[in-house]
Amino acid sequence: MPVSSHALTDALSGIVGKDRLLTDSASLARCAVDGALPVWIVRPESVDDVSRLLRLAAEERLAVAPRGSGTLMGLGNPPRRLDGVLDLSGLAAVVDYEPADLTATVQCGISLAALAPRLAAQRQFLPLDPLDGSARSVGGVLATNASGPLRYRYGTPRDLLLGVRFVQADGTVTWGGARVVKSVTGYDIPKLMVGSLGTLGVLVEATLRLHPLPGAERTWLVTFPTAEQAAGLLAAILDSPLQPNRLAILSGTAVAGRAAGGAAVAVSFGSVPEAVTAQGEDLVAIARGEGGRVTTAEGGFWARPWRFPAEATVMLKVAAPPSEAAALCGEIQRLAGELGIAAGILGEAGNGVLHLAVRGNLPAADWDTRLITPLRERVTPAGGSVVVERAPREVKERLDVWGPVEPTTLALMKRLKSEFDPLGTLNPGRYVDQI
Amino acid sequence: MSVTPALIRALERIVGPEGVVATPEGRLTYECDMHTFYKGAPDAVCLPTSTEQVASVVRLCLEGRVPLVPRGSGTGLIGGAMAPHGGVMVSTTRMNRILDVDLPNRCATVEPGLINLWLTNAVKERGYFFAPDPSSQMVSSIGGNASTNAGGPHCLKYGITVNHVLGLEVVTGAGEVVRLGGKVQERPGYDLTGVVVGSEGTLGILTQVTVRLLHAPAAVKTALAVFSSVEDASEAVSGIIAAGIIPAALELLDAPIIRAIEEGIGAGYPKGAGAVLLIELDGPRAEIETQARRAAEICRDRQALEIRVARDDAERALLWKGRKEAAGAVGRLTPNWLLQDAVVPRSKLPQIMREVVTISGRYGLVIANVFHAGDGNLHPLICYDDREPGQLERAVQANEELLRACLALGGSVTGEHGVGVDKAKSLALQYAEADLNFMARLRRVFDPQNVMNPGKLLPSHPACGEALQPPGAGRLPAGTWV
Repeated sequence: MPVSSHALTDALSGIVGKDRLLTDSASLARCAVDGALPVWIVRPESVDDVSRLLRLAAEERLAVAPRGSGTLMGLGNPPRRLDGVLDLSGLAAVVDYEPADLTATVQCGISLAALAPRLAAQRQFLPLDPLDGSARSVGGVLATNASGPLRYRYGTPRDLLLGVRFVQADGTVTWGGARVVKSVTGYDIPKLMVGSLGTLGVLVEATLRLHPLPGAERTWLVTFPTAEQAAGLLAAILDSPLQPNRLAILSGTAVAGRAAGGAAVAVSFGSVPEAVTAQGEDLVAIARGEGGRVTTAEGGFWARPWRFPAEATVMLKVAAPPSEAAALCGEIQRLAGELGIAAGILGEAGNGVLHLAVRGNLPAADWDTRLITPLRERVTPAGGSVVVERAPREVKERLDVWGPVEPTTLALMKRLKSEFDPLGTLNPGRYVDQI
Repeated sequence: MSVTPALIRALERIVGPEGVVATPEGRLTYECDMHTFYKGAPDAVCLPTSTEQVASVVRLCLEGRVPLVPRGSGTGLIGGAMAPHGGVMVSTTRMNRILDVDLPNRCATVEPGLINLWLTNAVKERGYFFAPDPSSQMVSSIGGNASTNAGGPHCLKYGITVNHVLGLEVVTGAGEVVRLGGKVQERPGYDLTGVVVGSEGTLGILTQVTVRLLHAPAAVKTALAVFSSVEDASEAVSGIIAAGIIPAALELLDAPIIRAIEEGIGAGYPKGAGAVLLIELDGPRAEIETQARRAAEICRDRQALEIRVARDDAERALLWKGRKEAAGAVGRLTPNWLLQDAVVPRSKLPQIMREVVTISGRYGLVIANVFHAGDGNLHPLICYDDREPGQLERAVQANEELLRACLALGGSVTGEHGVGVDKAKSLALQYAEADLNFMARLRRVFDPQNVMNPGKLLPSHPACGEALQPPGAGRLPAGTWV
């Protein structure tokens, strides 16, 4: 039954308490999604709160955007509707951590930064290192399928999420997966939730696979005059028994000031000290053979591999076959040069995923027709994609930020969405094809 | 609806007369997988050779709502590739080509009927391998591995099949051909590849699989640690993992299994041992040397009697031979056995192994153990003799009690074999009604008419947790791989 806005406010504060319902303009502005202002923000303190809030939202036909740390709220198409924001940062407990199992169960609002020291005390870690930082929440990282250079060795959220508790659009609390490292009991629901941007359910609790922290770690930088010249080194590393834990390519403004040259390949080895040294020696020999200039990176390199993204006008995630990573970096730099914009790339070269940050003043139409569309035309035939992770709203309104999804697959995705969120309660409009 | 002569003629038009098996004796060949207790012959079997043929068969069966049962090599252990409701079985054995090997991108695309080991054989000279290594890998198909999300000894370090599947081509239960994922490692939209892997043919039939290939490690070290008791060996396993060492494989075999192996094939395991641990480390040489020393210290701290290190590939192969053929050797111990595949958190391993001993004593049945200790995935073989009155019933009860003990410790019903008909009713022990309903709705999205492998993976009425037929006892044939 529809209720008045006054009654709705009462109902919301009845669930979370007055202190956890925010309607002041500063808070609303802070939680805007692509310029769309929510009417209210709630900060649930328990899974039960989330369940009751979503049940209310469904009954009242309201649209809700889940929010973790708020770092990547710019991801997605502009919302079709937005009534409330579900701020999950209050759900931040470590539910269960048994170091001997190398697993941890946490509430999804906990930040990577808050979790890391708990794990490090046991010489363990969660190997997820999204470029936008450790302030991000575990739930946000999972829902946006975020990862960084560590994926070369440890994989992405789909490889690390063992079990997940989520709240469906109608408020039903649901669990999928298991709390152990190996399970094939029923459908692999965690896979469905990773990267789904909260459109099928709101993630509230996650059981994660952890890894031992390597005893020693060191990073080498190999620079080349152009990105294309790094291709040989990348191919040689991939075609070797070397076991880097990170393998990245940097080009353009991402290299500037760090090392001479137009591109750098950054490789880190994490292992026992003897194996780090031995693999480093092998790497140096291969790199010199490929004509690269080798240096070792300063400590803390990976904590902040580049400084550019904060100021970027547009951020893109370009996915292509890994073997094309270096060539693609070169092509993107040439394109940026023609457009007179500054581009920085940090690419997970071994996985074929390039994070591109661009700064410059272009008309909205040019971002679309001269940068994004040509890039899509370049990578789509080989199965690649270009996701616009950040852009001014007028650019986003011109295109689908996710790019095309093959029609039959898209039809299946739409059936999933309408099965699990028939009323469009969760993030309506923001996912692929404005699902 | 039933399979009519007209439907069989239509199948023949799609796949050719040589691609349809409809004689009673021919159909019997397909009546079960390696869990031979569950029998159900399909009304017809068809063996397509292309995606288009699979799609046509699915669409044809959809018209009459005829059940469809996909089958690879039939080496599953769960009553998966059999037809409890009859219908048409789609065997992928004629779709067994390697379509593309792309080493610069470290992946390959294959048809689902390709035998697991053939892929590694095709790329090993160039230094690569396909990591999932179920013990059946010399006969099981990659499509079957992907459908059941198969494991294997080396999953401890490398992950199970889903971690190695990059993309799929699937004919869904709605008759559409969808391409999910692929060579490019990220795509916008839901990770349907991850959902379809492990779905046991209930969402669709796989027609192509794109998998990761890994570069072979620089060095491998395999050792056998001998203990006087399973408990000591279990403590050593927990100790190795807790020390931050993730071996490539960490397998535990107990006394009854060691005896069976030594009386059978003879792998050189010490006959009087209470348990042995097979430990394999791989990676950079300096890394595994250091880790091997540390692992050996941990084993000695846990009263290891002896640690043998394989000196060459021949010795390594012999140590593994015992493990890989262990289940087949059990025929020497017992005429019949039940197999459990439950998982416990690895720190609970010593505790569950004590529980196994207690249950074995309580029911007066030998329980032999050979399992992937490193990830807590048990494979207790509950031995019984079906000629002795009451033994089967006791075995079934012991099996159930053991499963419940694993779940009480925070475990999972199945670690790598899958659900099939065998464990469908057990899902309600692990999942709440809402969880099972979510899965049932997911299934409906892919298979709106409920034709895809009906009766498998989920309890038939998840809403009320109602079970299929009681699983009773399985008689697993000699030569089974677990």
